[in-house]
Amino acid sequence: MGRYIARRLLYLIVVLLVVSIITFGLMHAVPGGPFSREKALPEETIKVLNARYHLDDPLYLQYLHYVNNVMIPHLTTVPPTNSLMDDYLVSVKIGPVWFRWMNFGPSYKSRSRTVNDIFRDNLPISAQLGTMALLVALVIGMPLGIMAALKQNTILDYFGMSVAIFGVSVPVIVLGPLLVWIFGVALKWLPPTGWGAKPPYTFGFLPSKFGWDFFKFAIMPSIALGLGSSAVIARLTRASLLQTIREDYIRTARAKGLKERIIIVRHALKNSLIPVVTILGPLFAALVTGTFVTETIFGIPGMGKYFVTSITNRDYPVIMGTILLYAVFLVIANLVVDIVYAYLDPRIRYD
Amino acid sequence: MRKFYVIAGLLVIASMVLAACQPKTVVETVIVEGEPQIIEVTPEAPAGPKVLNVNLGPGDVPTLDPAVAEDTSSITIIESTFIGLTQINEETSLLEPGMATEWESVINEDGTETITFHLRNDVPWVRWNGEAVETVKTCDGAADRMVTANDFAYGIYRNLLPATASPYGYLLSMVLKGAAEFNNGETEDFATVGVEVVDDYTIKLTFLAPAAYNAQIAGLWVARPQPKWVIEGDDCTEARGERWTEPGFFQSYGPYTMSEWIHDSSLVLVKNPFWPGSDSIPQAKIDEVHFTMLDEQAAFAEYEAGNLDAAGVPLADIDRVKADPVLSKELVIAPNLCTYYYGFNTTAPVVNDVRVRRALSMAIDRQGLIDNVLKGGQEPAQWFSRPGLAGAPTMETHPDLGVKYNPEEAKKQLDEYLAETGQTADQLDLTLMFNTSSGHQKIAEAIQQMWKDTLGVNVKLVNQEWAVYLDTIKGKDTPQIWRLGWCLDYPDANNFIREVFAVNGSSNPVDANGNPAGGVMWKNDKFEEIVKQAAVETDPAKRVDLYAQAENILVMEDAVIAPIYWYTRVTVTKPYVIRTFSVGGHELYYKWDINK
Repeated sequence: MGRYIARRLLYLIVVLLVVSIITFGLMHAVPGGPFSREKALPEETIKVLNARYHLDDPLYLQYLHYVNNVMIPHLTTVPPTNSLMDDYLVSVKIGPVWFRWMNFGPSYKSRSRTVNDIFRDNLPISAQLGTMALLVALVIGMPLGIMAALKQNTILDYFGMSVAIFGVSVPVIVLGPLLVWIFGVALKWLPPTGWGAKPPYTFGFLPSKFGWDFFKFAIMPSIALGLGSSAVIARLTRASLLQTIREDYIRTARAKGLKERIIIVRHALKNSLIPVVTILGPLFAALVTGTFVTETIFGIPGMGKYFVTSITNRDYPVIMGTILLYAVFLVIANLVVDIVYAYLDPRIRYD
Repeated sequence: MRKFYVIAGLLVIASMVLAACQPKTVVETVIVEGEPQIIEVTPEAPAGPKVLNVNLGPGDVPTLDPAVAEDTSSITIIESTFIGLTQINEETSLLEPGMATEWESVINEDGTETITFHLRNDVPWVRWNGEAVETVKTCDGAADRMVTANDFAYGIYRNLLPATASPYGYLLSMVLKGAAEFNNGETEDFATVGVEVVDDYTIKLTFLAPAAYNAQIAGLWVARPQPKWVIEGDDCTEARGERWTEPGFFQSYGPYTMSEWIHDSSLVLVKNPFWPGSDSIPQAKIDEVHFTMLDEQAAFAEYEAGNLDAAGVPLADIDRVKADPVLSKELVIAPNLCTYYYGFNTTAPVVNDVRVRRALSMAIDRQGLIDNVLKGGQEPAQWFSRPGLAGAPTMETHPDLGVKYNPEEAKKQLDEYLAETGQTADQLDLTLMFNTSSGHQKIAEAIQQMWKDTLGVNVKLVNQEWAVYLDTIKGKDTPQIWRLGWCLDYPDANNFIREVFAVNGSSNPVDANGNPAGGVMWKNDKFEEIVKQAAVETDPAKRVDLYAQAENILVMEDAVIAPIYWYTRVTVTKPYVIRTFSVGGHELYYKWDINK
């Protein structure tokens, strides 16, 4: 298993290189640049701006420069400065030298911030929201799916699946403002927008204080974001469980006289989870790295909007940073999923 | 598990009810049902600090650094924290004293203009120390660091320094002697730039040519002091470089200073008690201004929930706000100095004939568009330079200037062209391009219909993503008809008509050989002459007259653009807020008050 994980992590580097080349090529191929303005900037100003960000170098040099900054660790005796060009995610002093790694570069749009600042300040909030939304999705979706499968073709099944179809077909862009309006504006039970945690975070990503002041902000967006995924999970759970309970080994278990509860939980459910776990990997990566619509509706200062605004702004370092971050999350989440497979189904072995 | 069903079921039912009802009915029902259950109650404010809650707009404030600011939210914060040499009144656009209490102008023999500014000597730099606003001391700790002429010179220097890569340095390059050469790296000697520090409280700026707007530009954010010791460091201050505007490092001297900035989320300005106050820039009356960074719809929800004291009204809510007995009283539609227009590529087929352009422009029912599509009380634009700018004609003085909705004349103009070229209206191949946005789409569709109804022409609509679009309409393949808007940098007609449409203007670019390279692709020698003359004209009445002539050429004689509407801002403000309405879009919160 250890060798398998090591191999997969090496494979991550290859994935990141490929993703970075494609993203880099695409974003430079798109017409328009970071300094296109409604009021066109004078040519001299654009020259000065291009020089500052090395955008006047040939593309392959720009790419090599980027890879060098982001992927290759640096050992240097020069102490870090306050320059935005000089912000490394990992920067530790070992004896007389500095070990510095991962400089994602400055944002062209926010002139006093770097992509690393965005990771440090905004990613934890998206991760908090995404994790809670995922919990909501599981807590609503799984019981609904199990209930529907066990009581197939009864009123409970129809009800569960109606809720699932409702969840899939009512997007956040409808549900979000609706929740804001009912519970924020009309009833005033919850704050309509905002987020209850701010830097610095515990362990870099947890809110420093849990409590009502945190959760009152999180309830509506977590539900709005989680409901859609809960529907997907409910339907997958139902379909998979329906298939499993018709397997021979379930009949055997029943014939042995096991209690129905044990049959379902230990034999049927565990074996039917594989499709659900499969979807959880990408779902986790998508929810945790931020969701544009939910964050905009609820005014949450997360990462999600940077996936979209960086592209409209042609903010090259932010585009690269967000895409690579997403790729890392996706690959690692899928790796975890594969490891969980082996636990769920002992027949799966990777060595 | 039953609980989940209950919650889910309730959501289903709630959504169905809401979908079926008119929004107004729901307001009443839900409020009535919810009233006994309100948990969050803000206690009656005791005589604590006065706090104002407002919204800055979606996304993080890009910067608080006057040297690199270019957008509305950044400049809004800078306007309250750094004061310029001169000040433009946010409502009247008249020039007022800022840090300079008086100034005098001399025209030099070589045709340049030198303005000597006399600064006030009682303004210290301040910072937020985590608990209170304190003055910044000199290194020996003996005295406050005062804002001096050197700080102004440094601010201008930093803005023009190529390494700073200031997006708006060109405003200075345009007017200040030697600034362009320093900014584009031809010389590294700042002494060649027309900035002279006479003593701590006197600074002389030399401008390329006398102009009505020189003193205005000298007061803009591009020429504001910056704390050199924080940026570059000195004996008692650590150098913070480009991070000097972050919380904890930030220093300023205006009526407010920044105490907290949670990126992408909120920013807090606190009153600076050391700002001495003057007639044009009084001491702040509100102790703290809390900014959120929400998109318009979310901000409006917060306003309705009582958490914001002022907000913009989203287009979708305007009708409801106008009909609501409470909100309609809090609604104010104020002018905003921007113009929305359609430009013509005067070299493209069909629209290269002025009669076609005139016909298209005259066939637009601007009032109808405003009443039925825009709904924000905008004003039909008859020309480009928005009334309210210095030098711009106004509807009172020039009611018949420019272009108006005139279907008969439009038809006549087009028929002449059609007869001459032997075509029918539906044979004309015309394309209107705009950047992808539902707002622009609605306007374009309405105007497309007007053109069809009045002239019988079928205009194709094409849209492109913003940055792609900008490349298209400023390049050789500029479509026949395209849309843009323009807002002020400084409130003078020069910033509109000349900087946009004169040769090499923003929407009339030229290539290296001086040939038209995009936008309107237009040159009219008489127009060039008039706008040049108007820039240096000192008699205000004559200036307006010159600009009126130029506008007539732009929108009627040559019909290079079809002006569509002049912007307004649709806002709601709680009744206890006493405020001003800035025509430039940068609110001056130190002039606001709360009276609960």
